[in-house]
Amino acid sequence: MTNSGAASIAAERFRAIVPPLLDDAYTLAKWLCRNPADAEDIVQEAAIRALKALETTSVDRPKAWFLAIVRNAAITWMMRNRPKDVAYAGDAADLDALDPRLGEAAPDPEAALIALEDGERLRQAIVALPAPLRETLVLRDVNGLSYRDIADATGAPIGTVMSRLARARGALAKMLKAEP
Amino acid sequence: MTENPDDRMLRLNAALDGELDTMSALEFERELDADPALAADYRRLGALRQAIRRAAPLEAAPPALADRIAALAPLYAPSASVIQVRRSGWTATRPLALAASMAAIGFALGAGLMSLRTQSAAESVAQTLVSDFAQAEIAGQPFDVASSDRHTVKPWLGGRTTVSADIVDLASQGFPLAGGRVAVVDKIPAPTLVYRHNEHLVAVTELPPDAKGARAGGGIETVDGYHVARWSDANLAYVAVSDMDEKTLAEFVAAFREARKPAAEERR
Repeated sequence: MTNSGAASIAAERFRAIVPPLLDDAYTLAKWLCRNPADAEDIVQEAAIRALKALETTSVDRPKAWFLAIVRNAAITWMMRNRPKDVAYAGDAADLDALDPRLGEAAPDPEAALIALEDGERLRQAIVALPAPLRETLVLRDVNGLSYRDIADATGAPIGTVMSRLARARGALAKMLKAEP
Repeated sequence: MTENPDDRMLRLNAALDGELDTMSALEFERELDADPALAADYRRLGALRQAIRRAAPLEAAPPALADRIAALAPLYAPSASVIQVRRSGWTATRPLALAASMAAIGFALGAGLMSLRTQSAAESVAQTLVSDFAQAEIAGQPFDVASSDRHTVKPWLGGRTTVSADIVDLASQGFPLAGGRVAVVDKIPAPTLVYRHNEHLVAVTELPPDAKGARAGGGIETVDGYHVARWSDANLAYVAVSDMDEKTLAEFVAAFREARKPAAEERR
């Protein structure tokens, strides 16, 4: 009886929280795993976890909460299905190689701005980012989470979130400048 | 000014993302005015972020996925009574949850039902915006871009809508900007500014002056428990939806209209 009560409360919470966030979840998953079909599996997996968690949890920041679940589901999924692709643990060195500064070496800022209009190149540049930079950038600029929410969702200190975001944007600016 | 270049970059990013506290934001604004190089970097960073957002928009989840997700937490037995339940009002929790899952099943369907039911185009616009407001509140995301920085919200909206949102600052009147989102009215994306007042929110949607929901003047009406104010100026029509009481909403509208008037003379 208690069980079915918890389940029906969970279902009610779920209906209020998850469906409105589905586009956010799907887009995030797609950027993390880089494949639309896998993204669907990841979101479904995340939704199942969310439903289970809602039996015992009420949530005050649903978006950050659910996207954190999606992000974790994506990492688990990648480890299970494409372990060679997962670089979450090991790309600290990559991070240091990226110059976070922007604009310093821009002899022609206008050209850099025009390059930004090329959406496809920008998308490729985002895909090419190391995973921790990419997830931070997507959580911020696509999903619109605050720094604090990103820190909660990724388990990184806020200073790390800030430097990853600056590095991600700096790297994009640099990549766009580099290949005309 | 010698500042560590990394710190400088972090601060530029934080300013752009509306993550500076008020005093830091004030200081940053002053530095922007005094330092053309900083201002140029800020503009470039802003252009980059706008380009990122254009290149990587939110994508709609495939309908089949939405169906599978909705099926995880079904609401009783699906039946014809669904429509009636929803009709009974937005204020009760159950219809809201139901509406949320219906939205997942097919927003087009929901919108279709809604327009069948409502008597006039103007009312249907108000109803749509009230539903938006309620749903956004329930979902805990009253805005798509959360920022108290006008310079963040404006380009964000500018990239997504055709009506130009000239954002007024009402913080000193007790209504700080909380963020912005896009409402879809009559199939056209319309910029919506969300302001905060204590625990309450007001969402102002800007429409072309000839939009169906536009109305020249008039008082405040109540739709499904929310207050709705409509007015127009020379260029645009406005619909404000709020969970504030009627008097506070009237004060907000007065402040907004007053602030809009001298917008052209504003500094930036």
